[in-house]
Amino acid sequence: MSTTWEFRKGACKEYELLLEDYLNRALGSAETAAAEQHLRACAPCRAAFDNAAASARLMRLAGPSEGPGPAFARTVMARIRAAEDRVADRMGVWQPLVRFGWRFAASATLVLGVLVTYDAGWVRPAQRDLNGTRVTAMTDIFAPDPGKAPASRDEVLMMEAEVTHGN
Amino acid sequence: MAASAAALTLPLDRKARREEDRELVRLSQSGTESAFEELVRRHQQRVFALVGGILRRPEDVEDVAQQVFLKAFLGIKRFDQRAAFSTWLYKIAVNECWDYLRKKKVRPLVYEADLSDEQVSRLDGIVSAERPPEGPNTRAEARELLERMLAALPEQDRQLLVLKEMEGFSVQELAEILDLNVNTVKVRLFRARGRIMETYRRRADAQSKAAGVAAAQKKG
Repeated sequence: MSTTWEFRKGACKEYELLLEDYLNRALGSAETAAAEQHLRACAPCRAAFDNAAASARLMRLAGPSEGPGPAFARTVMARIRAAEDRVADRMGVWQPLVRFGWRFAASATLVLGVLVTYDAGWVRPAQRDLNGTRVTAMTDIFAPDPGKAPASRDEVLMMEAEVTHGN
Repeated sequence: MAASAAALTLPLDRKARREEDRELVRLSQSGTESAFEELVRRHQQRVFALVGGILRRPEDVEDVAQQVFLKAFLGIKRFDQRAAFSTWLYKIAVNECWDYLRKKKVRPLVYEADLSDEQVSRLDGIVSAERPPEGPNTRAEARELLERMLAALPEQDRQLLVLKEMEGFSVQELAEILDLNVNTVKVRLFRARGRIMETYRRRADAQSKAAGVAAAQKKG
């Protein structure tokens, strides 16, 4: 490779994809022929392709980074178990509180249900008469006592006199 | 490792492995820890490669890789197997790498994008040879030079190139992991390849011109 190479800014845009596939030997025979034909005819593309091929060679030579040691999987599993234990411990501290919370919520729901049922009047049948009409539970203090109602005009006058003169 | 990576690229083998992965995932979801451990063994190499390819900090790779598998374990019950387990796992790895870099407020390790005259000469020997000499020294040398050349690239292009050429990920895999179109990945790879050689070519040209001037002066 000559060091008097003149760098040009890239290949023809419409050929970049084809040349990348050509570099990776991922083309069929017809496309390979088309790529080769273009490379023969186009100097910037040829230069770009030489560049790409050289860098690919260099990168393959550099090789992959180091892999994990033989104990890696065991270390990962140990870390996972430790994390699970931590979660279990954390749950252990809060578990009684969580259980109490659930019980409290269940009791509260039950009590609320009973109260709502009571308020709906299911447990107060005495407040309804046999015909289903509603009767008032309170007595009217201003209503006349039927036992003390005057029977004649004289009795009315007598009652008036009692009220006016105080007994 | 290179042999196992090559084996992974065989379509039939991949299909069989994917089926085995599905079964292991099902077992893991039902609480079988040994099945998850097997998944770790099967994918640790590639997760390491992916994390290493993004972070370029060997000292941090193991810790982040462990974190990736821990997250996968915690989330495996929610994994619906619509995508391959490997794709799902690699996405976790990419996100974990970016989280890690953000939390640590560091950039992936990059060198100065410049080469000395000596480095250019060494690189010329490596790049121009049709079959470059292989060995630990050549590899270490190529790696060092490459790190400098990669510094000239934007972050995502650098990752694409490293994952494709050095860590053995396919274009399809890269597109899935990084949520990019396959053709976009190919074009970006092609451009990135050209760009990393730019530093080298410029230096090589300058060196050649200087040598020419020196020779002319000697003659004169």
